[in-house]
Amino acid sequence: MKPLAPLEGLELAEAASAPGATIRTRRRLRLSWSMRIGLGILGVYVTVAMLSVFWTPYDPLAPGVGDSFLPPGQDFWLGTDRLGSDLLSRLMTGAQYDLGITLVAVAVALTLGTILGVIAGYYGGVVDVVLLRGVEMFQAFPGLLFAMLIVKAVGPGVLNIIVVMSFIGIPDYLRLARAEVQARRNWPYAEAARMVGNRAWQVAFLHLLPNSIGPVLAFTSINAAFVALITASLGFLGLGLSPNTPEWGNMIARGQDAVMTGEWWISFFPGLAILGMTGAFYLLGDAISDLTDPRRRR
Amino acid sequence: MTAALLSIDRLSGGFLGADGGIAPVLDAVSYDLMPGQLTAVVGETGSGKSLTALSVLGIQPPAFRRTGGRILFGGRDLLSLDAAAMRTIRGARISIVFQDARAAMNPVFTVGRQMADVFRLHHGGSARHAMDRAIEALGRVRIPEPERRARQYPHEFSGGMAQRAMIALAALICQPSLLILDEPTTGLDVTIQADIMTLIVELCRDQGLTACLITHDLGVVAETCDAVVVMHAGRVVETGSTEQIFTAPAEPYTRRLLAASQLGEPV
Repeated sequence: MKPLAPLEGLELAEAASAPGATIRTRRRLRLSWSMRIGLGILGVYVTVAMLSVFWTPYDPLAPGVGDSFLPPGQDFWLGTDRLGSDLLSRLMTGAQYDLGITLVAVAVALTLGTILGVIAGYYGGVVDVVLLRGVEMFQAFPGLLFAMLIVKAVGPGVLNIIVVMSFIGIPDYLRLARAEVQARRNWPYAEAARMVGNRAWQVAFLHLLPNSIGPVLAFTSINAAFVALITASLGFLGLGLSPNTPEWGNMIARGQDAVMTGEWWISFFPGLAILGMTGAFYLLGDAISDLTDPRRRR
Repeated sequence: MTAALLSIDRLSGGFLGADGGIAPVLDAVSYDLMPGQLTAVVGETGSGKSLTALSVLGIQPPAFRRTGGRILFGGRDLLSLDAAAMRTIRGARISIVFQDARAAMNPVFTVGRQMADVFRLHHGGSARHAMDRAIEALGRVRIPEPERRARQYPHEFSGGMAQRAMIALAALICQPSLLILDEPTTGLDVTIQADIMTLIVELCRDQGLTACLITHDLGVVAETCDAVVVMHAGRVVETGSTEQIFTAPAEPYTRRLLAASQLGEPV
């Protein structure tokens, strides 16, 4: 039986010297828990939002489909609000607003902010200074205050809210992308990319951007959670969409008096919906950044 | 006497100091690279050999200021070209192999993908065709299992493997007329150094490439190169055929350099 011992040692050594297959697989499995839960929750939200376009238990906008302040029960699963509207129907429709605004605003901010950031970081000089000073003017205001001011100025509406939310996000993406690109633009592989005949924009966007995108993508989750909260906050403050819109912030505002008198469900379920959505975004964050870097998959 | 492919003509310059003055580092450097020849540029660290070669591609450090001279390539002065014209030279006509090959590869793309991208940049064609050329090039530089290797990322390559891939990229994918090798074997294992040099010589001979090898390893030079340029303190000390430099060095500095490498007569 003695020859077995060195053989086992050999196998161990081989496993250790082959980082490719084994270790990467383990890392992915460990990652996937936060990823799976995040994606799972988000999947439910997306499904509900899409479903609500075609079907809700009751008309979400109609008052008086039931009595006022019915607690969660068999006819109205999540109860009714002050006007007798079905809370579940409103909650489902609200997913369209909150999820839609968040995803579109994040996508716009990510795209514009990253493009501007890569330009600022790669070209530097005057372009960099102008872009940075520009976004610093926006960043001087706290996000919510800025959103309130702009929405108050341009008026409510889904499109306006998306534009405002995108604007608030752009500076952060710009700074992240700029810092990453700036740190890498003189690295040997950027130099090598130039030396084989790539144009400046090709080096910046095809070589440096893919290396810089990890932190930027990771930030999308934080940004998405922030946008969801601000959107709900605007609704809560009555600044976002018209008061009857079944946006979750609006719904919390409509139920806030009732909380004092014991009808907790009107504000509780929209609040839970916001919590779940922001939580799902946070869970996705770290997982996304790991997936973009081949070395971190090791 | 055939015309030189690349002719460096009295190139002078220095680094811009914090006080606005220029500390000279290159003093009227002149040498020619003859077509089809493998020319070595040797000298100590700081002798200006890399700086001169980087100037050929216009990638000298930003603090470098040229005070005079020309670099003629195919009858055109490279130093007077604008960025767009320079780009048509880089890669397509003159390509370079850097010292640290792994750092010169983009970490987020597979090695094959990067080579295929460069192939398409210069020669066009479909992605599949370009990938086939990349795998073929990896095979030509004797990388085992080129199909599998092409799908790997730079961090999965050893230093020697990465340098092979870079040479394949610079010589076979770009297909330049001039290949600059900036200390390609520094930092590699001695046995691998020899392999890499053999490969470089073989590729240059096969492709009819003109190559400029920047190195401080004179042993390598004696075995592989056709001509030698000796540089010291920003000047060209001596130029000549390899045989002449190694058997009958004219300058005292060259003799000292050879003696230091235990290749020449003791001084």
